[in-house]
Amino acid sequence: MRWSPVLPVVLLAAVAGTQVWLARSVDLAAWKGGGFGMFSTLDDGPHRRVRVYVSGPGRSEEVEISAFLEDTAMRLATLPSQTWLSRLADGVVADERRHDRPVSHVRVEVWRVRFDSVTLGATSILLRRYEHDAPP
Amino acid sequence: MRLRSWLTPAVDDGLDLVLRLAAVVLLLRPMGPWFTRPALLGIGAASIVSPAVLRSPLTWVAAAAFIGLRLVADWPLADNHIYLLGYWCLGASLALRAPDPRADLARSSRLLLGLAFAFAVLWKGLLSPDYVDGRFFRVTLLADDRFADAAQLIGGLSEDQLLENRAALTPLPEGAELLDPPRVTEPPGLRAMASAFTWGGLILEAMLAVVMLWPLGHRITWARHALLLAFCWVTYAFAPVAGFGWLLLIMGLAQTERAQRGLRMTYVATFFLVLLYTEVPWAGLMLDAHAWFVA
Repeated sequence: MRWSPVLPVVLLAAVAGTQVWLARSVDLAAWKGGGFGMFSTLDDGPHRRVRVYVSGPGRSEEVEISAFLEDTAMRLATLPSQTWLSRLADGVVADERRHDRPVSHVRVEVWRVRFDSVTLGATSILLRRYEHDAPP
Repeated sequence: MRLRSWLTPAVDDGLDLVLRLAAVVLLLRPMGPWFTRPALLGIGAASIVSPAVLRSPLTWVAAAAFIGLRLVADWPLADNHIYLLGYWCLGASLALRAPDPRADLARSSRLLLGLAFAFAVLWKGLLSPDYVDGRFFRVTLLADDRFADAAQLIGGLSEDQLLENRAALTPLPEGAELLDPPRVTEPPGLRAMASAFTWGGLILEAMLAVVMLWPLGHRITWARHALLLAFCWVTYAFAPVAGFGWLLLIMGLAQTERAQRGLRMTYVATFFLVLLYTEVPWAGLMLDAHAWFVA
């Protein structure tokens, strides 16, 4: 029995197994991560949404995610882990300060849409909430 | 000696066609950030131009390495077929160093296919409750633009119903509730289509996983090819992921013998059929033609 043809297969099994674990433990979207969960669930990128709220002296509001943070937001929506949450929050602080807007606190939320199994009525479900104090 | 095995091109044993189609895929679907894209395009182009490059194990291990780099750079956004392409390129490089490259590549292709379908079945059948109860395709046929033409053509949905349904599927802001919420309209044809996609897809993928992973190969070789070709003929007429379809066909083709000319040509023809599916909006054209005849 030659083992070299099996090596890529072992790699596939290891990555796909890890993807299943990440999907169950930190809500990695089933469609991504090498676990072959595409076309299996509605819990994918287009049905997840990232919302960002900023507060500081004289302001407390939801802000639009700027173009240069869109890629980070997309990764966060796909894998709402601590790493991507804090990376987006840090990016928002930097972006607000670049535009001379005061910021002392950032809240990042990741939402997903759930569809009713009979009526298909859509409801938003909070997946993650992350509070981040901006350094002075 | 071991280093030389990476540099020495393998002898063509019917593998050239398989490798050349893989090179075509690298060219048709350039992938990844700026630091992987030129390398993968270069590998694809050089493989088509030069038979020595095409058969060199180094070519395919380099392709696997750049695909791996792309997966890391794009984590976690890359699609699943990029992972599969990376594994297959690694399998091709290892096979080209072996005494019988065709047999080794056939084996790794078969097992990769089987395991990929097994994980797809695990997600659809066990891990995603919104798949087996039909919700996934009921919503996707209404909300995903890429399925809109087919939903109207086969499902009998009108343009107005499609737009109203999309509005009804939009979630309300947190805590909001409408007094009279809009209802989703699903003609019987659309519900039947969603059911056919749900169960047809799951059953076909489960059968493919079983026949590909089944150890007694020679008795069921015909079933492997028939099911894989049928899957590609049907699935990629609707699913907008030609890159995945091409890769599955290459992995099926890798399991053929050089003497099986008819079967090999069927795989090549299906490769181009998937190309046509993706480049020709057949459902939209038929929909337009239908509207023209009705008018």
